[in-house]
Amino acid sequence: MSKGWLLFTLLLLTLTARAEDWPGEQWPTGQAPSGPSIEALEQYAFAPRDDATRQGIRTDALLVIQDGRLVYERYAGPTDAQIPHLTWSISKSLLATVFGVAYGEKRFALDDPAAQYYPPLKRHPDMTLADLFHWASGLDWQEDYEYAPLNSSVVAMLYTRGRHDMAAFTAGHDSFSPPGQVFRYSSGDTNLLAAALKNIVGPAQYADYPWTALFEPLGIRHATWETDASGTFVGSSYAYLTARDLARVGLLMQRDGRWGDRQLIPKDWVAFNREPFARFQAGQDEAVPGGHWWLNRGADPTIRPWPDAPPDTFAALGHWGQALYVIPSARLVIVRYGDDRDGSYRHDELLKRAMAAFPGTVQP
Amino acid sequence: MTRKVLLAMMSLLLIGLFGWVWLERVALRAFPDIISAYTAKQYCSCRYVMLQPADYCRGYVKQSVPISDFLETVEAKRITVNGLGRSHSARWMGARQGCRLEP
Repeated sequence: MSKGWLLFTLLLLTLTARAEDWPGEQWPTGQAPSGPSIEALEQYAFAPRDDATRQGIRTDALLVIQDGRLVYERYAGPTDAQIPHLTWSISKSLLATVFGVAYGEKRFALDDPAAQYYPPLKRHPDMTLADLFHWASGLDWQEDYEYAPLNSSVVAMLYTRGRHDMAAFTAGHDSFSPPGQVFRYSSGDTNLLAAALKNIVGPAQYADYPWTALFEPLGIRHATWETDASGTFVGSSYAYLTARDLARVGLLMQRDGRWGDRQLIPKDWVAFNREPFARFQAGQDEAVPGGHWWLNRGADPTIRPWPDAPPDTFAALGHWGQALYVIPSARLVIVRYGDDRDGSYRHDELLKRAMAAFPGTVQP
Repeated sequence: MTRKVLLAMMSLLLIGLFGWVWLERVALRAFPDIISAYTAKQYCSCRYVMLQPADYCRGYVKQSVPISDFLETVEAKRITVNGLGRSHSARWMGARQGCRLEP
């Protein structure tokens, strides 16, 4: 009897292992669904594109992975499957995932002082790496893009006063709060992490680290990550990947840091990415900050930024509509690249229609 | 009487304006650099990282503030942009490094 159960369990395990798909050089493809739910998704994502006024929803790419298989892919505008697209602030979550590999190599601890790896922060001895991952450095940063360019810290960092050394520019800001107390979204916080990584992995390895640690193990062949003049990765803004390659990072996250039979990133690192920052208050941003990823649930259970998506949904999000959504409960990874200039695009609306089109039934 | 009030108000406004200019002097000095630096950098990345056609990239980087001069050296993968009296250049550094503003 017990032998029978053992055999049964083994058989089940073998079947499960065989059923798990992973991309090799290319993504395995699955049966693309059709019908009214796909049409509804496309009507939203691929509304007629207005290149003259640049108004409305302007999707460049939409790609859906379910159960590790490519089940939907469509491009518009100038983008195609071979084009590495600017991810803007998705870069922040990519940097956090690169950090995950260093975390697995036991090169740092989350409660280490940031100044230990980036000495210009010694004015802020209590600031930890975890505070930076929560966008809670307490530095008086102004994250505005084109609407308030005069006082925008991020515009000054990327294009004028900070562009030679973005981390040093950030470290020069005064504090408005002690570290770890208040969420304030900041591209500067991310670039402090990017600079700290230089000492965490060592200057000799740093320039290639995102490739050796993350991109190459995932089979990503064409990634660009621009640096400032001091050689620090612009972790906040300037990573470029094809939609298919960004989806590989999504699948890694969906499967808790595992790639094939290798645990590339420790499970507890992914758990940190997905743990809501306890001090976040409703309305402070469009989604809930975790450890440099965006969540659909808060420490306060009434917070649910995307009510039409499952609560375990999490995402990497960027300017002008860039998004990598991961929904483990539906075994979905969705990449959406865009060129939205007017903010009319809604994550919740896309997720609602995607959930209807890909309801997460196990395919035979 | 009204003239005096008007003068007093004008003076206050001027003092306020000078005060604001003084407080924001660092940001104001850097402000005119934004448009040429932004355009040079993002155009360079659009052309040589995202591999898009020149026409598309000119539209992609267009902002409401106009630029006065635009020079692309295709062989060097280098772009120089003038706008609001300032000039900035960006250059493609390599497949992994993409584009960077020149000092």
